[in-house]
Amino acid sequence: MKAIQVIWLREVRAFRGALSCGVPVAAFLAVYGWTFVMMLRNNEGSVLQIQSIWGLSAAPWLPFLSAVLTMRLFAEERATGMIDLLMSSPIRERDLVLGKFLSAMTVIAGTLGVSLVVPVLFLPALSAPSLVPPGVAAITATALILLLQASTWCAAGTMISVLFRNQAAAAVSSLIVCSALPIAVYAAILAWMPDVRASVAWMPLLVHVYDFSTGLFSTSVITLYVATTLFFLFACSKLLALLRLRG
Amino acid sequence: MLDVDHISFSYGARRILTDISFDVAPGEIVAVTGSNGAGKTTLMKILACLLMQDAGTVRLHGVDTLQRPVKYRHSIGYLSEHVPLYNDMTVQEYLTYRVRLKGERTMRVRRRVSEALAVSGLSGMHNTRIRLLSHGYRKRVSLADALSTHPKLLLLDDLLAGLDRPQRTACGTALSTASSRAAVVVAGHEIDEMLNWCTRVLVMIRGRIVAMFRTSDFDRAELTARIDRMLAGQSDAQEDLA
Repeated sequence: MKAIQVIWLREVRAFRGALSCGVPVAAFLAVYGWTFVMMLRNNEGSVLQIQSIWGLSAAPWLPFLSAVLTMRLFAEERATGMIDLLMSSPIRERDLVLGKFLSAMTVIAGTLGVSLVVPVLFLPALSAPSLVPPGVAAITATALILLLQASTWCAAGTMISVLFRNQAAAAVSSLIVCSALPIAVYAAILAWMPDVRASVAWMPLLVHVYDFSTGLFSTSVITLYVATTLFFLFACSKLLALLRLRG
Repeated sequence: MLDVDHISFSYGARRILTDISFDVAPGEIVAVTGSNGAGKTTLMKILACLLMQDAGTVRLHGVDTLQRPVKYRHSIGYLSEHVPLYNDMTVQEYLTYRVRLKGERTMRVRRRVSEALAVSGLSGMHNTRIRLLSHGYRKRVSLADALSTHPKLLLLDDLLAGLDRPQRTACGTALSTASSRAAVVVAGHEIDEMLNWCTRVLVMIRGRIVAMFRTSDFDRAELTARIDRMLAGQSDAQEDLA
């Protein structure tokens, strides 16, 4: 547990001063903001609530943010040779993986927190008569599904980062996996999607965001994301162990 | 203390190490030398648990690298030949991070870092960013890292490469101090320099240990000449093959 904390702290500090963190976070907030405003305009008078618009604006960009944040986690260590020092330290591979994964999740959670400022604080104040401020429960539920999705992308990105020394190659591969994964997983769901969800059906993973933001919880969805995340993290620690076989 | 017993290692069909056996007692400094490609770094990586041998065992105080790797790694300090460091950290931040990562108790971390800084001659540079350090000082930081938690086994790969004479002398002094409570294995080409402080020399040629000399049994000049002749003979043989 202590090793996870030490690695997590080191990685969060490294993220704090790195361009490879600041630029993608700023880009994410910019495109999220643009998407949010566009959805708000297009859905004037519709049934979509603010927390749904927040979730649906942020979710499509999470795979990109996750891929760019996780690309350096192991690829940089392998390129600089620091992986040798980490692997010769008295820590388990899973602690190393979890520490790094949690640091990326911390940045994403912080970014999502910042992205909440407009819908929760400013928007209701600016247009109080037409918009009902979202409740804590609604925001929490939407944040939960966004974090679950982000954890899947981050776990995939972390695993892919082990395979490369080149960060750009890791990011591109991670994006390919993160794009292909939801399409593969949800292709079947599209077939029986009710009409009410049709407006967001262009990207299947958004259905889960919409459902959670409107209070429609599903344990199977939570299980799916948690299981996928654990699978990628497990695979990541096994890949690290494989490095000991052939360097 | 350290028992290396008949280890072998291959990259695919290419045999890198063949039937390596030796032991190191506490207080000993063993130098491993050989020409490029002899397998020194691969041997050091196996001893540091970075590679798994195909056959044979490595034990430190009876703890096997394959059966209890985390416990084994608790007892070692490793200096990699490429001197990897986090450039964004200061020397003190880096050493604090490494000491904490090695599982040292929180109350001891500051003391361990101070000791490591002092023994490596870095006391005045603790607030310097690592990216600003020269190669020699980077090596000292890595040495401080390897020494920081008082390991039972110190593995130093290419310790002297790229260091000027005063820094080599400083490293030798640090090693002599550290060897009072640890077994030390140093790999490198600078045999003349290493003879100042090592107790035994292992000569590797093409993945095998071909000779083992106790430095106390030989005159220094004679030993250097013998090792040079062995390595030159290997070069001649390689040229003949070519």
